[in-house]
Amino acid sequence: MIAFILRRLVSIAVTFIVVSLIIFLMMHAIPGGPFDGHDMPLSDAVRAKLMARLGLDQPLHVQYLNYMWGVLHFDFGVPYQSPGDTIIGLLSRAWIPSLVLGGAGVLIGAPLGVLLGMAAALNRNTWIDYLASTFATLGLTIPVFVISLMLILVFAVWLNWLPASGWGKPERWILPIIAYAAIPLATYARYTRSAMLDTLNRPFVTVLRAKGLSERRIIFQHVLRNSAIPLVTVFLPMFIGTATGSIFVEAMFRVPGLGSYFVSSIEKRDYPLEMALMLMITMMYCLAYLFSDIVYALLNPRIRAGGKP
Amino acid sequence: MKLVEINGLTVSFSQYGGDVAAVRGVSFHLNEGESLGIVGESGSGKSVTCMALLRLLGANAKIGAKSMILDGVNVLDADAEGLAQLRGRSAAMIFQDPMTAFDPVFTIGHQIAETIRAHRKTAKRVAWAEAEQLLLRVEIKNAKDVLNYYPHQLSGGMLQRAMIAMALSCRPKVLIADEPTTALDVTIQAQILQLIKKVQAEFGMALIMITHDLGVIAETVDRVLVMYGGEVMEEGWVQDIFDAPKHSYTQTLLASLKAGATKPDDTGEVDDTAVPALELRGLSKTYRVHQGQGLSRKYADFRAVRTVDLVLPRNKIVGLVGESGSGKTTTGMMALRLTEPSGGQILVDGSDISMLEPAALKGFRRRMQVVFQDSYSALDPMMTLAQIVAEPLHIHGITPGKQQTETALDWLEKVGLDRNFGQRYPHELSGGQRQRVAIARALILGPSVLVADEPTSALDVTVKAQIIGLLKQLQREMGLSMLFISHDLGTVRTLTDTVVVMYRGRVVEQAPTAQIFENPQHPYTRALLDAIPASNPRDKRHRTFLSAADIDAATPRYTVIQTGMAPNAAPQLVSIAPNHLVEAVVTT
Repeated sequence: MIAFILRRLVSIAVTFIVVSLIIFLMMHAIPGGPFDGHDMPLSDAVRAKLMARLGLDQPLHVQYLNYMWGVLHFDFGVPYQSPGDTIIGLLSRAWIPSLVLGGAGVLIGAPLGVLLGMAAALNRNTWIDYLASTFATLGLTIPVFVISLMLILVFAVWLNWLPASGWGKPERWILPIIAYAAIPLATYARYTRSAMLDTLNRPFVTVLRAKGLSERRIIFQHVLRNSAIPLVTVFLPMFIGTATGSIFVEAMFRVPGLGSYFVSSIEKRDYPLEMALMLMITMMYCLAYLFSDIVYALLNPRIRAGGKP
Repeated sequence: MKLVEINGLTVSFSQYGGDVAAVRGVSFHLNEGESLGIVGESGSGKSVTCMALLRLLGANAKIGAKSMILDGVNVLDADAEGLAQLRGRSAAMIFQDPMTAFDPVFTIGHQIAETIRAHRKTAKRVAWAEAEQLLLRVEIKNAKDVLNYYPHQLSGGMLQRAMIAMALSCRPKVLIADEPTTALDVTIQAQILQLIKKVQAEFGMALIMITHDLGVIAETVDRVLVMYGGEVMEEGWVQDIFDAPKHSYTQTLLASLKAGATKPDDTGEVDDTAVPALELRGLSKTYRVHQGQGLSRKYADFRAVRTVDLVLPRNKIVGLVGESGSGKTTTGMMALRLTEPSGGQILVDGSDISMLEPAALKGFRRRMQVVFQDSYSALDPMMTLAQIVAEPLHIHGITPGKQQTETALDWLEKVGLDRNFGQRYPHELSGGQRQRVAIARALILGPSVLVADEPTSALDVTVKAQIIGLLKQLQREMGLSMLFISHDLGTVRTLTDTVVVMYRGRVVEQAPTAQIFENPQHPYTRALLDAIPASNPRDKRHRTFLSAADIDAATPRYTVIQTGMAPNAAPQLVSIAPNHLVEAVVTT
């Protein structure tokens, strides 16, 4: 197990470097630079001076190495958008709303999805199943900004129950959390349904019934545990998926979170911020998959207990 | 007193809008302590009948009966709680495939203890102690360790023992065994059957033995129910059924069993000077396996096949037998170079193909074809039968396009299928029909060598006899040389000219078929032959089983004078009669 983790850590480091290179090159492949804006034109001399100060006049590979050297020391540089700040400082502030809303969305959506999936699987081919499956399909196929719009329309505009946007008071959180929950709920409902149906069809379930176990015990202890293995492995990556989901949800609900920076950093050629965001997502995905694999191994005795003794 | 009484049971399954009748009016009874066998082929309704007795069928099953009494309770009226009481306590069941019968994520001990605690209020510790006792009673020696094993850590035979222990855990009044040995090796099968008889006597249970194998019936039961197409064809005492079967279906069944006793017609002496169709010289296969954990990972070599020599003479059938894991299938696949050998030579018509590049090998592929055990996964489900059978012609570019289909249809006819089957897809066929298609596909190229890897072990007895007949006929017509890989010694006896016995990756004995059955020399060959179920209840007997250590200890010994070989403490193949080789130690 330790060797497995070590090997994975090495491959994560390689992934990290490869991804950082690709992002860096793509970022600079976009024509234009950070000071080409037309709203506030700069003279050539000023621009050249700025570029020199930020090191943007140096060859690309030097820029890349300089930046990565900083990353190694947890120095992600200074965002061009707000030079008085550091990227670490900016992200740690912007992270909070995204984490609270997205995290709550997953933590509420995933268990509800499991319940919905179980209800569908245990009542296969009945109206419960059809209803749950329709619900799950809608949750996955309707874009999150449409869901957000509908939520705002129904609960804020028509019913006037909840505020439509903003951050701060908890009642402002409710609608974005529901929007965030849609995808985990739908995904989990579908995963759970198919995993449970697969398990229910396996011969050992008949054996459990023939032993005289109660149906409740069969479902909750045996079937659920066997079905849980694939469910656990998608949990963490889904959590991180909310980071990119935030682009739309936060824009719709005007939450001052991470989402807006994904777009503005590219638009404004804010190279350090763009790199920092992408590297952060990459690292989180790598670690999430590593962690999922470890949990998977722990849940599955075939891997945990090795082969034949 | 009657323990089970079923009167006019009907079961139908609703499928795609229609109802399919699986059981049509079955009635029987079972007394306390009695053994009843239900025999029939797949689809005869024998399993469904017993599943209905415990109401284990899915929601799409409609069950009807005048009455269905188990242990004094009318099963059809029982509610969920009443059923849970009956299951496990009044009647316990063991199933065909022990590998899939346990929940893979819980230990054996947990699963046995959970059964005990579902029926009796006991402390966890007490239930585990009881589970250990039960494992000891089914002759698992290291019971304490096995309690903490997960199912995947045990072999099929061990798991079936644990399954029996679990079934015994609530002292059921009747044990229902649904094909309990079909997924097991022949030697393990004999052990499990004997164990079931032993625990039946010890626990004073009644037994319902569901099987397609008349040999199993002959070994284990007092009374027999013969089922076909969801109905009872015949019922009677086991000896009467074997001696004087009344119904024609029973007679067919018995005939397919008796076919095992007839000797193959002798097709004359082998011409020793001719080049054999296929020869394996020192063929071996070593797999690298992980050992150890963490940073101290080590690799060990697992020798699946160690230096096997084998000669397949022209126009002959050689049987390759042994238990699962003996290396017989690996050897067959290496002979075709479908598995790459680790060492040794493969000679086809005298030329070595073991090192050939794919392009050079292609010509030889045409001469060597294969039929697999599982015909369902061996046929592409998206292709019609005509396309499947014609594909080899296409691959080797033999006949022009239009004619390929014609040839394929001719071959469908040759293997006993109608020409209009050409437009059908594999899933529309029965197992026997699919195996015919697989045979047609293998033979359409006119190969000289056919490797048949357990081609009949997934088939019903009567169908099996037909497929064997077909293979035999085509072999004679085409002058095929066939390597017949099987663990079914009855079939091997009727079909083959020579038998090669493999054990733990080695050839331990090799002799003409008649000779090996009459005069087996190696202890493993004897164990294999001894494990064949009796073909008549009169012949059933108590068996003693050899462990691997016993077999090693009983390796035959021959002197230098007998063999003309130098003394050697390590076992080696020695010739003890014309064409009869056995692994033995040569002493001074």
